[in-house]
Amino acid sequence: MSKLPPSQDQPEDVDDRYRRASALDPSRPSEAVRRAVLAYAARLPAERATADAGREIERTRTAVNQAWWRPAMLASLAVAALAGFLIAPRFLALRAPPVAATSSAEGSVRNTAPASVAQAPDTRTDKRAPPPPAASPERTARAPAFTRSADMRSPTGRARPKVNAPSSGATAAVAAEPASVQNPDAMGGLDARQRRAPANASATTAIAAAPRAGAAVAPTAAPADPAAAFRRAAEIGDLSGLQVLLVKQTDIDSRDAAGRTALMLATLHGQTDAVAALLVYGADPNATDASGATPLQAAMAGDHPAIVAALQRYGAR
Amino acid sequence: MTDARESDEALMGRYARGDAAAFVLLYRRHELRIWRYLERNVGNRATADELMQEVWFAVAREAVRYEPTSRFTTWLFTIAHNRMIDSIRTSRQQVSLETLGYEAELVVQQLTTEPNVGPLAAVVVRDQAVALRQAIGQLPREQRDAFLLQIEGDLSVEEVATITQSSFEATKSRLRYARTKLRELLSEYA
Repeated sequence: MSKLPPSQDQPEDVDDRYRRASALDPSRPSEAVRRAVLAYAARLPAERATADAGREIERTRTAVNQAWWRPAMLASLAVAALAGFLIAPRFLALRAPPVAATSSAEGSVRNTAPASVAQAPDTRTDKRAPPPPAASPERTARAPAFTRSADMRSPTGRARPKVNAPSSGATAAVAAEPASVQNPDAMGGLDARQRRAPANASATTAIAAAPRAGAAVAPTAAPADPAAAFRRAAEIGDLSGLQVLLVKQTDIDSRDAAGRTALMLATLHGQTDAVAALLVYGADPNATDASGATPLQAAMAGDHPAIVAALQRYGAR
Repeated sequence: MTDARESDEALMGRYARGDAAAFVLLYRRHELRIWRYLERNVGNRATADELMQEVWFAVAREAVRYEPTSRFTTWLFTIAHNRMIDSIRTSRQQVSLETLGYEAELVVQQLTTEPNVGPLAAVVVRDQAVALRQAIGQLPREQRDAFLLQIEGDLSVEEVATITQSSFEATKSRLRYARTKLRELLSEYA
């Protein structure tokens, strides 16, 4: 090779001959290669877009995405539940009236109309008063405050069972709650969750009125129904409330009048922690409301990417 | 999409932003040049097919990181060159004259069955094709690589030197020797 002197003459003749021969060369890459390359190239942008969306969700996830979050939450809930079990019975025992009064009060509660239950004024000082006749509108309007006391006399120490009013009646009643019932004393030993909760969590107006009604809801119109209280706790992201009610074996998938579960309500209100807690405790991620909407659809519509991710991890569709 | 005047770099930019049609244009523009570079370097259709796929897969993957600081063609042939070198190093595959001769025969068979090629022209074409392939096959690997890079990629000496990681002078010498040798080998077919 070193014999060949470096050519200084025009190289174009060789190049031209090469190009002419190449032009006549029918050799081509196989069709399979062409198809594979073009298919791969067409697939990549879509995969990149998906990956980018995934990264965005990962970035927007906060506590839910962290490994320590779940054990920490469970530990906190467990501590809260333990404290509740140790402390609550003392308060309940101190306020427990005679059993006879309990029976009487319970009877009065059952006899009162839903509206009267919801409009109960603060008559804490009138605990021993006899229950008003159910047929009397005036008496009904001054509904007996001892219904709350009756709640507290429950032998099990639990919240008052089923004093639920129909959805519409309760809604109006909570909204029209008199100011007198906002007296904190009227709340007695009821926890804040019960005080806040409306008679029926499904009613939008009731939800709106709940903070104003405050303590008033507790004795009578408050969700003595544990399921309603549970949904309300989910709605406002009250994790300790959720925990307490779960310990009481409240139906985790109970529904309000609109068919919404606690998970759906928590999703609608963007309560990421509550959603995560409910999923951990086995809430049905695909429970639809009366209109057929799923929690995942609600989370997407509400632009809650962290909730979307949490739901999808639990098999939401 | 069918704008033939759109630069390769602009097409790459479009593809990086998700326009798959831009990639199709790029592929069609450079398919044959890359194919010839690979196939004439490795002298084997199957290996060239594999390399061809790897090169274009890499182009698609790296599109988002591609920055048009140099010509797209230079970047493309750099990928092809590196893949080809890796393949040779891995398989220790050497281009043999026998392989090239076999491949040349296949090409000749295809040529002579082309409907637009008459009997006399077919003979001439066949002779030239065989001669060209054999001549390229006889070049030392570095010279063949440099020559094919320059002629198929339309690259300058500097660009070839950069791709092959050689000095400018060494690259220039390789190109000169390659052409001289080719001219000598092809002279009898002139």
